[in-house]
Amino acid sequence: MSDVVLDFRSATKSFGGLKAVNDLSFQVNRGEILSLIGPNGSGKTTTFNLITGLYEPDSGDILLEGESIAGLRPDQIYEKGISRTFQLLRLFSNMSVLENVLVGMHGRTKSNAFSCMLRTPKMRREEQESVARAKELLALFPGRFPVARHSQIASSLSYANRRRLEIARALAAEPRLLLLDEPVAGMNPAESLEVMQQIKDLRDMGYTILMIEHDMNVIMGASDRLIAMDHGVKIAEGTPEDVANDPAVVEAYLGKRGAHTTA
Amino acid sequence: MKTFFSKIADTLRRAPRWIYIALALALALIFPMLESWGLMETLWLRVGTRALVYVLLAVGLNLVLGETGLLHLGYVAFWAIGAYTTAILSSPRTARLLYMVQEHGIGKALTTVTQRTMQIPEELIGFHIGFGWVLLIAVLIAMLFGFILGIPTLRLRGDYLAIVTLAFGEITRITFNNWEPVTNGPGGIPGIMPPNIFGWVVDKPGEFFYLLLIVVVIVVWLLNNLKNSRIGRAWNALREDEIAAHHAGVHSTRVKMLAVVLSAGIAGLAGAIFGYYQQFINPQYFPFMQSTIIVCMVVLGGMGSIPGAIVGAVALDTLPEVIRQTFTKWLPDAFGPDFLPGVQAAVQTDFDRYRMLIFGFVVVLMVVFRPEGLLPNKLWRRETHEVDPREQEQTRQHLFDLEEGHPDLEA
Ligand SMILES: Nc1ncnc2c1ncn2[C@@H]1O[C@H](COP(=O)(O)OP(=O)(O)OP(=O)(O)O)[C@@H](O)[C@H]1O
Ligand SMILES: [Mg+2]
Repeated sequence: MSDVVLDFRSATKSFGGLKAVNDLSFQVNRGEILSLIGPNGSGKTTTFNLITGLYEPDSGDILLEGESIAGLRPDQIYEKGISRTFQLLRLFSNMSVLENVLVGMHGRTKSNAFSCMLRTPKMRREEQESVARAKELLALFPGRFPVARHSQIASSLSYANRRRLEIARALAAEPRLLLLDEPVAGMNPAESLEVMQQIKDLRDMGYTILMIEHDMNVIMGASDRLIAMDHGVKIAEGTPEDVANDPAVVEAYLGKRGAHTTA
Repeated sequence: MKTFFSKIADTLRRAPRWIYIALALALALIFPMLESWGLMETLWLRVGTRALVYVLLAVGLNLVLGETGLLHLGYVAFWAIGAYTTAILSSPRTARLLYMVQEHGIGKALTTVTQRTMQIPEELIGFHIGFGWVLLIAVLIAMLFGFILGIPTLRLRGDYLAIVTLAFGEITRITFNNWEPVTNGPGGIPGIMPPNIFGWVVDKPGEFFYLLLIVVVIVVWLLNNLKNSRIGRAWNALREDEIAAHHAGVHSTRVKMLAVVLSAGIAGLAGAIFGYYQQFINPQYFPFMQSTIIVCMVVLGGMGSIPGAIVGAVALDTLPEVIRQTFTKWLPDAFGPDFLPGVQAAVQTDFDRYRMLIFGFVVVLMVVFRPEGLLPNKLWRRETHEVDPREQEQTRQHLFDLEEGHPDLEA
C-alpha cells in the first residue's frame, strides 16, 4: 500500500473568470503534517473546499488512498474519512459541547429512525459508545473540557475553546485525513503554542494532517512539509526552511520590491 | 420578598423532570372526570379534547419548524389528509365507493358517482374500515404526500420553502373542495362512524379525550427518544449550520426528508382521530389560518422544545375560549348582565374574527418579551441534565488554577 493518503491531481476551480485553484497538484503522505501557505486569496480554502466536496473541480481529480472522491457530496467524503475545521468557526452554537462532537459521529453511526424512536438495546449501546468516544476526544485537550463543561452550550465557550471543539468534532470522523483551516487564527501566542503542540500530538497518534496556516511560528514549528500557493498555483514545495526562503515565496508575500530588499 | 420568589423559582427549576410529567398526566387524567362529576361544563371538555389534537399537531410541526428549522406553512394539509382518510373510509361513503368500484371500475366510480343518487345492496350498508386500519392508512398517505412535497422543496431555503409549502396547503384544501365524487366538495362528508377499538366504542368527548391522551403520550415518548438520538442531533445541527452539518457527515436532504415525512405522519394521525371526533369533515376546517395557528403554538412554546409545543398548543387553544367566556359569562355573572353590553355582543356574534387578532397579539408579546418561548428547550434541558456536584467542583478547581486573564475564565 502506498504511503500517499491524498492525491490532488491537477485540479482546477474557477469562479467566473477567476481561477481560484489553477491546475494544482500535490500529495499528502501518511502520518505527516503538510501545511498550505500563501497570501490572502491565493486559493487555500478553495483547495479545502474541493477536497471536502463543497465544490467539484472543473477539471482534474482528487484521490483518497487511490479512490476518486471528486464530485462526491460532503457527507459522502466525510464517510470516506476526510473531516475538516473551518477558517471562520462553524460550530452548532446552540447545542452542547458534547452534542457538537456527537454530531460528528452521525456518519459513522447506523441506528435508524425506528430504533432511535424505540430506543432499542442496540441503539442504546451505540449511543453509549458514541458518548464514551466523544468524551475521549474532548479529553485530548486536557483541562479544556472538564466534564461539567460538556453540557454547556458551544456559544458560551471562549474563542480558543471553540476552535478546539471544532477539532474534536472533526476527529469524531476517525478521519484518515484531517483538514485544519487556520487552526490558531485569532489566538494569542500562548494559546497558539498549546494548539500547535496538540496538533503535533495528533500526528504522533497517527493522524494525517493537512493544515492551512498564516502563523509563521506554528508553520515552522509543526509542519513536516510545506506547500506555498499564489493565485491558485503552487509556487514552492519542500521542507519548511526551503520553502520559507524560496525567493518566489518571499516575492508572493512581499511583492517584487520586498523580494529584492530581503535577497 | 424577592428572595422568597427567587427561592420558589429555584425550587421549581430544580425539581426533577418526572414530577412535572406526573403532574401533567394526573391533571389530564382527572380532567374529563370533572365534567362527569358535574364540576365543569361539557364545553371545556370539548376545548380540552381539541387541545390534544393541537398538541399532536404542534409536536409534529415542531420536528420541522423547531428541530430542523424549516418554515413549513402548509402543515394543515396533512391534518386534512388524515381527516379525509377517516371520513372516506369510515362513513357510508366507503360502502358506496367500494360497491361502485366493483360494479363499474375505479375510473367511473371516482368520476361519475355522487352519493345522493346511489343505491347499494342492503348488506353493504354500514360497512366501513376498522379504526386501526384507518389510522395506519391515514398516516401512510400523509407520509407519502410529505415525501412528495419534500422532493422539490428540500433544496429550497427560507422564504421559498415557506411559499411552496403554503401553496401545497392551499392546493390540498382546494382539491378536497373540488373533488366532489370522492369528497362531496364543500358539502363535506357526514356520518363518520365512531371508532370501535376492540369493543370500546369511542363516541363521547370524554372518551375521545382519553383516546387522544394515549396517542399523545405514545407520540411524545417516541419523539423525545428521537430527539435525544443521532437523528435528533442531526436535525438540530442542520438548523444551526447546514454547511457544517453536511461536512460533519449529515446527509442533509435525507435527514430533512425524515423530519418532513414524520411530521406529516403525525398530522395525518391527528387528522384521522379528529375526523372520528368531529363525525363530519368539510374543507372549511382546514384553511391556511390553521397552519399559522400551529406555527404560533410552536413559537409560543419555544422552538425545538417538546414540552414547549405542548404548553403552546394548550395555551393558544384555550385562550380564545377563556376570553369569550370572560366577556359573555363570567363578567356579566359577576357584575350584572349589563356589563359592557357592546363587547358582549361583539364577542358573541363574530368572535372568530377576533381569534386571529388575539393569536397575533400573543405572539407579538412573546417575540418581544420572551423570544425563546414559554418553555425553551435550554431551560428544560438544564433541569434534566443536572450536573454532578463533583464535576462542578472539578471545573471550579480548574478555573481556580488558571491565571487571571486566561480566556478560559470567560467561558
Ligand atoms: N464561492 C466563491 N465565489 C466566488 N469567488 C470565490 C468563492 N470562493 C472563493 N473565491 C475567490 O477565490 C479566491 C481564493 O479564495 P480562497 O478563500 O481559497 O483564498 P485563501 O487562500 O483561503 O485566502 P485566505 O488566506 O484569505 O483565507 C479569492 O479571490 C476568492 O475571492
Ligand atoms: Mg482561506
